[in-house]
Amino acid sequence: MSFIVRKLARTADGREIVRSKSYNRPQLTVGRGTDSDIHLPDLAVTLHHAMIRLVGNGQVEISATAGLPVVVDGNQTEHVTVNAIGGADVRIGSHDIRVSAGDGDEAGQVILTVERVGAISNSSEAKEEVKVFSLASVIPGKRPLAWTFVIAVLAIFLAWPLVASFQRSDPDPGAARPKSFHADQMWSSGALSQVHKGLENDCRACHVNGGSSVKDEACATCHTAVHDHADPARLQVAMGKGGIETRFKRTVNGLFNRPPGRCVECHTEHEGATAMPATDERFCTNCHKDMKGRLTDTKLADAADFGDDHPQFMPTLRMVSAAGVPSAARVSLDGKPTENNGLKFPHDVHLSATNGIAQMAKMLGKGEGYGQPLQCANCHRRDATGSSFVAVDMEADCQACHSLDFDAVGGTIRTLRHGDPAQVVADIRAFYSSGGQYRAAATQGMERRRPGAFTNRAVAVDYAQGQVGRGGTADSAIRAVFSPGGACFDCHVVKPTGNARVPFAVAPVALTKRYMMKGWFDHAAHDTERCESCHAVKTSKLSSDVNLPKIARCQDCHGGQDAHKQVPSSCAMCHDYHRNDFAPLMVRSGKVRGKAAQRLDDKSNERAAGSDDPS
Amino acid sequence: MASKADRQKTTGRTRHSDHESFLRYRGFLWLKIAFAASFLAILLYGFNHVEPRANGGSAYGYIMGTIGAGLILWLTLLGARKRTITPGRWSLKAWTSAHVYLGLALIVIATLHTGFQFGWNVHTLAYALMMFVIISGIFGITAYSLVPQELSANRGETTQVQMLDNLRMLDRQIHDAAQPLNHDEAEMVQYSLNDDPFAGGLIARLSGNYPKCGTKKALDLIRAAPGRESGYGNDALDQVETLLERKRSSLSRIRKHLRLKALLEVWLYIHVPLTFALIAALFVHIFAVFYYW
Repeated sequence: MSFIVRKLARTADGREIVRSKSYNRPQLTVGRGTDSDIHLPDLAVTLHHAMIRLVGNGQVEISATAGLPVVVDGNQTEHVTVNAIGGADVRIGSHDIRVSAGDGDEAGQVILTVERVGAISNSSEAKEEVKVFSLASVIPGKRPLAWTFVIAVLAIFLAWPLVASFQRSDPDPGAARPKSFHADQMWSSGALSQVHKGLENDCRACHVNGGSSVKDEACATCHTAVHDHADPARLQVAMGKGGIETRFKRTVNGLFNRPPGRCVECHTEHEGATAMPATDERFCTNCHKDMKGRLTDTKLADAADFGDDHPQFMPTLRMVSAAGVPSAARVSLDGKPTENNGLKFPHDVHLSATNGIAQMAKMLGKGEGYGQPLQCANCHRRDATGSSFVAVDMEADCQACHSLDFDAVGGTIRTLRHGDPAQVVADIRAFYSSGGQYRAAATQGMERRRPGAFTNRAVAVDYAQGQVGRGGTADSAIRAVFSPGGACFDCHVVKPTGNARVPFAVAPVALTKRYMMKGWFDHAAHDTERCESCHAVKTSKLSSDVNLPKIARCQDCHGGQDAHKQVPSSCAMCHDYHRNDFAPLMVRSGKVRGKAAQRLDDKSNERAAGSDDPS
Repeated sequence: MASKADRQKTTGRTRHSDHESFLRYRGFLWLKIAFAASFLAILLYGFNHVEPRANGGSAYGYIMGTIGAGLILWLTLLGARKRTITPGRWSLKAWTSAHVYLGLALIVIATLHTGFQFGWNVHTLAYALMMFVIISGIFGITAYSLVPQELSANRGETTQVQMLDNLRMLDRQIHDAAQPLNHDEAEMVQYSLNDDPFAGGLIARLSGNYPKCGTKKALDLIRAAPGRESGYGNDALDQVETLLERKRSSLSRIRKHLRLKALLEVWLYIHVPLTFALIAALFVHIFAVFYYW
């Protein structure tokens, strides 16, 4: 028995070269060392790597001699016996030694076929030049990347939100959606305004039907009390046909089923988490500028800009016909209108700094709330909103001077009942029937109290009682109180009735609570001004004077929306599109007031800081 | 061409050539058109008063959005256009020139379309993807104008195949020279031979940094090997060390080549896939706007 070692090599064109050598000995050494029988020029092979030995019966023993295993038929081993007839593959380093039994001439010999199967180095392996040098070998291809991205984008940003949108099963747009993230929020183009913040995760509260624009019905789900600006048909007429741009826009909107005049045209949303923005002046002037030309039967005057194209104010004034029937009408201040509120009241006399009234106010003193010549605030008091005034009240605002006291019983002052002529008549009659004929009732009006001794109640009553000696009857006293110089007549319009029980009637007094019914004026916002800087009451002799400032006075500070005035004022500052009785949205939302208040706060803080500063 | 004449005057070393790059095509025709379009868009934006603030839903916004979407689709078609070869007026060069400059104009058009309203939503996603595509394009243009010179300077006169063959030859020499070495030393050499010169991921390619380089490791180990004799030729490892040093220098040239090629190629791996992501996002953007209208 012996070995035949066949070394296979390949030429560059792949042809096999075989070199055979016979060994007539029972064992062969394998290694990189040049003294090895089977020399493997392979750095992965040790100098003396293995031993191949015949053990008889065609059995071949393979043993590793350097402590490094060999791989026989795929199994790592240091010692194994194989049958040459069955054959075996021995892998050492990059070399393969095939063990087989010879046949024919070579029968009975073990043939070891040695071949290098691995390249000598990594770079020597076959490499696709174009690929390895390009980036394509280290990065996924553009096409798979593109597909991955497209599928990811469509799945996350289209499919997921669509599913979320359909999952809003509750068809009632007013029903709230659970407060959590819903994928269709990713479609939101911006934060909602503060008032609508609660709807942020509930797209379909407003966008009720996919693919269809937001309709007014969606708004009306919550905004049940808002009514139209005007008849929608008239609104369309007032808008006019518009220029090419407007007509084109309307055509496009029509194509996409976006009817004109929807709430969202003015109330734009997704513009950031701010207060609902005040309506731009253009939305008003679109129609109200030159509106008479289109809506010929309108009673409204054209208006385009507060600064230079706004009609004179037309306050609602109370009139009384000759027959005594009251009515109200809007009259322009340009016509120097008068009103009839039923009261006699000269402002000029009351506001004089020097006359008797001024002296009396001084005499009444601070204890009574006076102490100085009369001020507006002595009679006119702000209402709870601060924007307007409560109606002047006889008892609270006039009676400190215009006393209705007429008798004193054991230190208790008796007073004629204001607002009830029948009671006044009855009280005076009662006074005389109970011995009053010996002391005349104190029924004088403005003559009664004078500066000096007459300024306190006890003295006044004494004075009345001093009249006893002059005698008198109930009827004459009643006549006196309702006649010139009498307590009622001085302030009221009195007419005889011909009725013996209640011989006189007082015309009703109706003080105007709000003159500008179509516009809003906020007194609190004008606290920096004095009353008389707008209301010329110091020269007003009659209560029929309408002491309202004309628009020119307002225009001193206020201009149009884009005017370079102290206070640029868009329409929305005074007018509310939806015509409710409250302040316009712009004022309510505190946008204007808020800024003014902030400025005042800042100023007062500055001042406080200045005075506290010890240096 | 005036621009070419100027160039010749100012840089004497530039050889005269009939070549006109796509950037300079017809005296920067498309640059001028892109500038004019951007200027017009900005001008209209300035005069267009949208209350309460500019947004994509205004008439101007819709117009800019439509133009922008159309531009994006047309710009994408360069990929199809470059695969068909036609001469003349609408040459690929003209098309590429327009692609570059109108793509840049898209920055202005799309930004004005947004009305500067951005948020964490699909609309801004589309915008962001578009900006990434444009920025990668700018990177590509820059790479195309700077890298090729460096690439050919590094390569000398050799081709890629020659670089690889050189490496293989060195490996054979190292392999042969290492035959007498004992097993431990042979193993050190194996680090170099078994190392794939093209291994390393994208980061290695772009940075040219290969910290796990087998040849470097083999060299370090051999230099630190115990019992080295001083003086060249006194030690069996000396020759191997020299060969490894040569291999390292050869590798560093290949790696610089790889890095420059990566810089030339990498932008397209962002530009193209992100373009398709952008088109998907653009579709969702338009769909969402009209779905929740």
